[in-house]
Amino acid sequence: MEHQDYQQLLIPHSLDALEPSDVHAIEAHLETCAECRAELTALRNDVGLLAHAAKPAEPGPQVRARILDAVRAERQENRDGTAVTGRVVPMKPRANWNVWTIGLRLAAGVAFVALLIEIVVLWRHEVKLRQDVAQLERQLNTQQHELARDRDALARQRELVALLNSPNGRKLEMAGAQTAQNARGSFVYDQKSGKAVFLADGLPATPADKAYELWFIPKGRSPVPGRLFTVDASGHALLPEQIPADALDSFVIAITLEPKKGSTAPTSAIYLSTPSS
Amino acid sequence: MQAEPSQIADNDLLRAVARGDESALAAIYDRYRLILFGLILRILNDRQDAEDVLQETFLQVWRRAGDFDEARGRAFTWLVTIARSRALDRLRAAGSRARRAEEAAQEPADEIGDAALDALNAEKSAIVRKALAELTDEQRKVLLLAYFEGLTQTEIAERLGDPLGTVKTRMRSGLIRLRELLAHAN
Repeated sequence: MEHQDYQQLLIPHSLDALEPSDVHAIEAHLETCAECRAELTALRNDVGLLAHAAKPAEPGPQVRARILDAVRAERQENRDGTAVTGRVVPMKPRANWNVWTIGLRLAAGVAFVALLIEIVVLWRHEVKLRQDVAQLERQLNTQQHELARDRDALARQRELVALLNSPNGRKLEMAGAQTAQNARGSFVYDQKSGKAVFLADGLPATPADKAYELWFIPKGRSPVPGRLFTVDASGHALLPEQIPADALDSFVIAITLEPKKGSTAPTSAIYLSTPSS
Repeated sequence: MQAEPSQIADNDLLRAVARGDESALAAIYDRYRLILFGLILRILNDRQDAEDVLQETFLQVWRRAGDFDEARGRAFTWLVTIARSRALDRLRAAGSRARRAEEAAQEPADEIGDAALDALNAEKSAIVRKALAELTDEQRKVLLLAYFEGLTQTEIAERLGDPLGTVKTRMRSGLIRLRELLAHAN
């Protein structure tokens, strides 16, 4: 290329608009051509004025402080003897949070916290509901149990009234023995059918591993086991019974305290009994 | 537009910076931050990126002030060249040229007007804009694409769909005309 050809490249070169191959060519020429170097300098001064074509804008107020902080840090390192050449001063961590991203992150954070709170509230609500349901079930069971017990008691009382009104009805009084002096009881029965109802009051509370056992003691024979039962808090019991057929003529009734599953023969002292006949 | 009163001061400030005077760097920042940030923002169209590049620019000024040779150009040209180069590097690294292409020949909305500039810079801005307005649309577009988008002549031809020869002619005639207008304004 001739000198004039290179001159043609100076204008696009001043705008950095040449292709790389032409850049290499003009740079090589500039090494040796003072005239072109001067012309390029003048061109670049004018091209630099195009910066004024952009409207001026105010950077954030923190930028100035960031720059001066970085400069001071760099100078301090130089004083400390750190090598400078080729060293890159780390930029302050870029606050990559403009108003929108801060807003979005804040909103996401708030939503997340709200969601967590909602989950906790729902969870606690559910736990409370489950507790309430369990409580209601327990109450229902208790009430059903009490109702069943009352029905039984009512049925026994009706039975008792029926036995007392029956022409074949008989009643035996029972007294507490040495072990349960406050206890007393009644044994009401139909002397033909053997159907009976047993009432007791004032018996000591039943230990957890024990049960009271009713015995029929026919005259001259070994005791025949009857019902097992427990008493309520006031030592009360009311239960139906059936007198063994071979004991209907003559018998004594006694109550002993036995292991929970019952015994085939009495193992404890008598708590309550009818008088010996 | 050659021997402005501030020109000497700019050179002196850069010499002071080269000696490690951080107050001189702060003075240069105070004097040119609006123009340099406006330039970088025009190129990047992103305030956060532009602030990062402005910081990089002044750190480079701090480290390389000793390289500044007033015989090879004005201090303002040196500052603007650093800011523009770094902004274009960032633009290319971001790979977002295409996205910003349409904004190239347009003036994006900025926060402040020339009123915030000192009298000298405000006058320069007015002269440059007036001179640009005197060019044909085609000439102006080619110059602004090269300057604010860093496009080569070949890339401008592709962008505009014009023959490469036409782009070269417009760039040449446009810059020659611009220089005449600027010289005349002085």
